[in-house]
Amino acid sequence: MLDFHHLVGQLHDFQAYRRAEDERHAARLARALDALVRCSPGWETLCADVQAEAEQAGSRSKPLRGLPYSAPDGCHPCGERPTPVTVVATDGSQIYPDRHVEPACYLLNIARVALHYGTEEPVVLVAEPDLRFRQRDLDDLDPGGEDARLDVTAEVVSALRDELELRWLFETAYEERRPARPLVAMADGTLIRWMLRGMKHRALEDRLVDRYLAQLERFREEGIPVCSYVSRPANTEVVNLLRFYLGEDDERPEEDSLRGLLDRHVFERVLAPGQRSAVFASGSKILERYGDAHHIGYFYVRLPHEVARVELPHWVTEQPGVVDLVHAVVLDQCEKGGGYPIALTEAHERAVVRAQEKEIFYRILERQMRGAGLAVGMGSGKTFSKRAPRV
Amino acid sequence: MAVSRIAEVIASSTREILAEVCKGEEAPAFGSWVEVEREDGTVLYALVSHAEVGSVEPGRQAVALGMDRATLRTEMPQLAELIRTTFRAQVLAWWDGHTRRDGQPVLRQTLPPQPAGLHDPVVACGHETVAALGAPWDFLRTLARHPDPAVPADDLLVAVLSGVYRASGQGEEGRRALLNAGRALSRLLDDDHERLQSILRRVA
Repeated sequence: MLDFHHLVGQLHDFQAYRRAEDERHAARLARALDALVRCSPGWETLCADVQAEAEQAGSRSKPLRGLPYSAPDGCHPCGERPTPVTVVATDGSQIYPDRHVEPACYLLNIARVALHYGTEEPVVLVAEPDLRFRQRDLDDLDPGGEDARLDVTAEVVSALRDELELRWLFETAYEERRPARPLVAMADGTLIRWMLRGMKHRALEDRLVDRYLAQLERFREEGIPVCSYVSRPANTEVVNLLRFYLGEDDERPEEDSLRGLLDRHVFERVLAPGQRSAVFASGSKILERYGDAHHIGYFYVRLPHEVARVELPHWVTEQPGVVDLVHAVVLDQCEKGGGYPIALTEAHERAVVRAQEKEIFYRILERQMRGAGLAVGMGSGKTFSKRAPRV
Repeated sequence: MAVSRIAEVIASSTREILAEVCKGEEAPAFGSWVEVEREDGTVLYALVSHAEVGSVEPGRQAVALGMDRATLRTEMPQLAELIRTTFRAQVLAWWDGHTRRDGQPVLRQTLPPQPAGLHDPVVACGHETVAALGAPWDFLRTLARHPDPAVPADDLLVAVLSGVYRASGQGEEGRRALLNAGRALSRLLDDDHERLQSILRRVA
């Protein structure tokens, strides 16, 4: 039970705090906008200085800073989207292994979408489930064999799902590509595999990154522009670049530090609707493994309801006109999808495994096991009671 | 006669079927006959009593897009995949699949012993079959006395009789068939002449 009488005072304090925070945020933002304009003329020297800092720091961790490929305060208007154009997207979801089910099995459901705008060619809107359970599927992930068996954790399953999404993205783009017609392959979320670090299994992490890179390489070999769309990005790399420019102390940030500000806060103010920012190279550590061609860069784009981040490998940004193509396609996609790329929305709709479907999946699995006279390894009373709670 | 499936059964009972129209096919007309052959060879005859167009997923609602038809096709190409046409058809007659008299299938104007199977193919009935679904007009009784509550029964009767007229060649024979059906209907409507007149007036 809530004691509202007690709560009133605390809510009041929160309101006051919120107001003060808003004021601090406004001050930080003004300072950042000013810094962005001032640092722009000498952006090339600034980049060199940041790189020198990184070399000096060695393994000591420094904030990640984005390095612009052109003036960082640049605002680029959107050109016309070509017609016809093909947009390909994939999205995936999964059923994680249930620790009550032996042997461990998990399901990946990847949806593929291909839309040929400006034509009446048939669209691709399909999702294919992939049930995995064989230990040997994982052998390739554990070359060292230091652990007798690799645990199929949620992180591993997520990583495999991302990999499969990218693989299908390539396959679909390859199949749906038409001569002399521009195509953009769009993934959901980030192309930077930073989340793979932290599995506490270095060989496995490296193996997963390498396999992801092998998929990215296929795009490059075929010259298929690949990008990814990040909604409500929480990155601070551009803000960190400005902090470097302002000479902020990373260890002991001053009272008026830009810390807490996000890149999108800055670009919400800089960009007019439809415009994109300059392209920045990400400073993420894991990109050291990506190599120069696949080093991930990004730009911010101002949409009606938000500033989104679009990521793309370096080789894509070097293709003449391709950044503009991606920009125009992303904007058109978001217009069609009411604020989110419609190809990704459709892919998500097909990929998603709803709670009820998950229940049905386990019920079928259980029934088949019983039918085949196999012990139903869904043993623990806990799962059963969870599926059919008693009054 | 080679017939192609126009739809597929997605819900079924002995009384009615719900079918989804196949991609690229036209939905069968309101009041027209369709047939479903079960796996065991039984053929069910059903009258289309309701059709609707909607989203494939129940949770998704269409919104106005302000585009002309050509732009919709080229700029929102996924829409065609998200929209489907479904129709309900009242099962009113069946054939066991082998009994014939003078070479013609013996159709029984009553509910079938078994419902259609899910995913069974639905085809439109040819003129011959529609003409065979005439006298003694027992199906009209089911239609008039136990109508689908969601469908205006008289409008369905108008559509059925129009179909009878067309299937019998629209000429003298058509008029004769219509007269027979009208007589049977008159009895079913307890000689409610006004209602009968209103129905016959609308037959064309």
